[in-house]
Amino acid sequence: MIRWAALLCAALLVLGVSGYPAAGQGTVRLTHGKMVLAVINDQSGVYADLGGKNGVEAVKMAVEDFQKKYGGAGLGTVDVLSADHQNKPDVGASKAAEFYDRDNADLVIDVPTSSVGIAIAHVAAQKHRLFFAVGAATTALSNEDCNKYTFHYGYDVYMLANGTAIAVVKQGGTQWYIVYPNYAFGQDMNAKFSAAVAHAGGKVLLSDPTPFPNPTEDFSTFLIKARTLRPRLQILGAMQAGQDLVNLVKQYNEFGLRQQGVKLAIGLLFLTDIHSLTPAAIQGTVFTTAWYWNMDKQAREWADRFNARTKVRPTFVQAGDYDGTWQYLEAVRRAGTDDADKVVAQLEGYRFNDFFARHAQIRKQDHVLLHDAYLAEVKAPADVKEPWDYVKIVQTIPAAQAFQPLSQVHCTMAP
Amino acid sequence: METILIQLFNGLINGAFYALLSLGLAVIFGMLRVVNFMHGALYMLGAFGAFLLGTTLGVSFWWALVISPVAVAAVGYGLERTLLRRLYDLDVLYNLLLTFGLTLLIQDVMRLRFGIQGVPYPAPPQLQGVVVVGFMFFPTYRLFVLVFSLAVCLGTWWLIERTRAGMIIRASTENPMLTRALGVDVDRWIPLVFAFGVALAGLAGVLAAPMRAVSPLMGADLIITTFAIVVIGGMGSILGSVVTGFVVGALSAVAAVYYPAAANVLVFVIMAVVLLVRPAGLFGTAEAA
Amino acid sequence: MRRALGWTALAAIALALPWLMYPVLATDIVTWGLFAAAFDILLGYTGLLSFGQAAYFGGGAYAAALLAQRAGVSFPLNALAAGLIAGAMAVPLMGLAIRRRGIYFAMITLAFAEMVFYVINEWRSLTGGENGVQGIPRVAPGGFSLASPLVYYYTALPLAVLGLLLCWRIVRSPFGRVLLAIRENEVRTEMLGYPVVRYKLIAAVLSCAISGFAGGLWVINHGFVALDAVHWSTSGLVLTMVLLGGIGTRLGPLAGAALVLYLRDFLSTWTDAWGVVTGLIFIAVILIFRRGIVGTLEPLLVRGPKAGRVSPSQPGLSPQGGPGLSPQGGPRRRLTG
Repeated sequence: MIRWAALLCAALLVLGVSGYPAAGQGTVRLTHGKMVLAVINDQSGVYADLGGKNGVEAVKMAVEDFQKKYGGAGLGTVDVLSADHQNKPDVGASKAAEFYDRDNADLVIDVPTSSVGIAIAHVAAQKHRLFFAVGAATTALSNEDCNKYTFHYGYDVYMLANGTAIAVVKQGGTQWYIVYPNYAFGQDMNAKFSAAVAHAGGKVLLSDPTPFPNPTEDFSTFLIKARTLRPRLQILGAMQAGQDLVNLVKQYNEFGLRQQGVKLAIGLLFLTDIHSLTPAAIQGTVFTTAWYWNMDKQAREWADRFNARTKVRPTFVQAGDYDGTWQYLEAVRRAGTDDADKVVAQLEGYRFNDFFARHAQIRKQDHVLLHDAYLAEVKAPADVKEPWDYVKIVQTIPAAQAFQPLSQVHCTMAP
Repeated sequence: METILIQLFNGLINGAFYALLSLGLAVIFGMLRVVNFMHGALYMLGAFGAFLLGTTLGVSFWWALVISPVAVAAVGYGLERTLLRRLYDLDVLYNLLLTFGLTLLIQDVMRLRFGIQGVPYPAPPQLQGVVVVGFMFFPTYRLFVLVFSLAVCLGTWWLIERTRAGMIIRASTENPMLTRALGVDVDRWIPLVFAFGVALAGLAGVLAAPMRAVSPLMGADLIITTFAIVVIGGMGSILGSVVTGFVVGALSAVAAVYYPAAANVLVFVIMAVVLLVRPAGLFGTAEAA
Repeated sequence: MRRALGWTALAAIALALPWLMYPVLATDIVTWGLFAAAFDILLGYTGLLSFGQAAYFGGGAYAAALLAQRAGVSFPLNALAAGLIAGAMAVPLMGLAIRRRGIYFAMITLAFAEMVFYVINEWRSLTGGENGVQGIPRVAPGGFSLASPLVYYYTALPLAVLGLLLCWRIVRSPFGRVLLAIRENEVRTEMLGYPVVRYKLIAAVLSCAISGFAGGLWVINHGFVALDAVHWSTSGLVLTMVLLGGIGTRLGPLAGAALVLYLRDFLSTWTDAWGVVTGLIFIAVILIFRRGIVGTLEPLLVRGPKAGRVSPSQPGLSPQGGPGLSPQGGPRRRLTG
């Protein structure tokens, strides 16, 4: 009798366990029977090269690697969906809502363009599902628009401004002229850079908004102004992104400002920007980056595998997409469920160290990923030893100093 | 004061691009009654043409300045013969929308091939560096752009006002029926005029390549401003489009000194005022409105 | 009988729509459909191509968003107020614009829309600049929650239908007949003693007010509004919808909105080459189905054995007739200045 009962129990146990799909370790409880990750980014517009299709590829790669490492990890198949938000906030937000509602997506990740990122953060809060903002730079995501389900993963405007401004002023570049594109990102960058320059003991002589949208793609007015500024200008702080930046840099060289001793400091510079400008056009430019593919052996090893898949070198956004996915899956594994609230509890305050994020911690109060940032300098063309190797890291900014200090954060974690 | 003078002069260089582009639009509109929305896309093709000629065949900037516009003209000619001409009997709206569709197509094909970030293109070695004239200083290349585009505008004016071909164009613009009756094959001229108009866009593209990012979306925002300039100048008016192009360029540059945020909207304010006060545009004839 | 059948089918589609696709998208189709129908009052029935409708749709969206967020105005009221505000904006702006015709009217409306864009981008403290107004609450009076996209669809649908009925009523009324007469021959209409300018102004203000109302319904659907709502490409999008659906047809704007939005949504997950696909569709429609979906199907349906969804007495605008958009009334001009 007892033997029968034991057999029955064993049978039930087997049935029960195998009831979970691919129950290698059989511990993760899935709220909708399946894990779904959704990448929403710009695949056809101005930010398509820095994230785009290859950002989606990075997320897929993370899922595969994760399952390889943990033998399925009890997650079953993990679907990776993707959508092109075409830089339209309404498209991005309704796609996010649809992914959460209809496809039961557990996580939305990437999302460049601040306005789209903020819109999706609100969707995530409403649907009680997770959102990892990697591509968007605005600090609003971890301040006025922060919420329990949104994590800002990789970089933000504060990190960029703080790192670059302090380093440049320390090197003696104290007299600044800031030109910023006249939209939210640019305005934010201007404010943060001005504060950081002043804090470091420099002086912003003037800051000007450049037109948005910018049909003529011309910055000559500001470049001429830069030459006439008194006292002698030392640093031209360019806060433009994408095509605007390429234009501005091209024209900075054309007007011979470099020869005049006006140095360029760039707020946000992606690997793909350098590639398109060529290192010759911006050699010696100092900027802050969240990660660089050739910064050390560990980063390089990952970048080589990425290159094997995509034939390009990754930007830090793509690396962040991979890493965010990985850390999310780790948190799910630790929580033993994909239940959003339990995963959030696992993520908050979590400390780790990996190829992307060094000395990393996910700050509980505002959900910012704190990690080491890097001050980088664009190499001279002669020093470029292999394709895409455009940058050398000159300084590591410790995680504790790289991001907005808690005293300045105004995040209420409103539900 | 010095600053203003420098900026005025500098604005003229932007104006040169406006002038070349709106000149092409005006010629096309005058003859074909087509509002060519893909003008910006063809400008982009001109720039990519120079890049491709340079990287694949080693063609210099100077030859690209000739070959690329001709190639763009060929593209324009082909599109006119196969697509645009089907819609001449209809309202202008239809060709506007057709060319809008073509714009989306051309831009996206280029993006799929070259990526969104664009490609580098250096200024020709002869024109690198900065010229200092008295209190003014300018990149040599920009001065060249200014002089060259002025010459092209003058040449176009001469072509249309002083040559036999120009006479036929003017006549068939003004009264195609009568011109036909006089034994001129008007229809033969239509694709040629269109090709000429888009060649000007291609030329502007080549000129832009060394100073602006060569990327698939480089003409996307430009087109609306260019429309505004053509309207301010008086639609179909050559002199109007050229003068307005230069004036708007200069005014925007000066506005950018005092209140940068407004530089963009300035052209639309001017357009609204001009249309309300002088409906035919600054240089258009009164009957037009 | 046939008509009754058609309307029943249409009502069934409207009710089933959020079950066929994601409800947020369904609501988008209904609200943009209303916007397109309002736009068609001007384009299809009065012969005025406005290239600045984004100012009224987006302006209405911003108005509704700010009323909900800052003043706590609850749902249907904020959308209605958005309509009133857009209408009020239209009185001076359209009052100036209707003094011009054809391409010139299009360009002047574009100019005004660009100015609205500029003001909204610059007035950051109110509008949030490029980040837009985010986190707009979606509550009905009495604290009744409309948070579910499905619930919101069925709340917004009757309001949008009312708006549509208003559009259809306008163009079918004696007032609408005069608009048609203006489209066909403005001078003759004036000769007959109709105050053409006043008619055009009223048509424009009504169109803009309904556009603003549609913007209000749309913004509450998404819970945020950003700068691209007032960008000129929004004006281009609504024009695209009406053109693809069929200018001057009753159901054309709805069909166009459904096609464009569904396609945009579908392509966003299906391919990154949406420019190629949309561009090709555009070209094909212009060259082959010039009357748009409804304009092409309607004669077939009406003649065919199946029930016609639309009445045969449409004031359908034949492309050959031209919606009066030729840049000039008079003889062709000289090419030179």
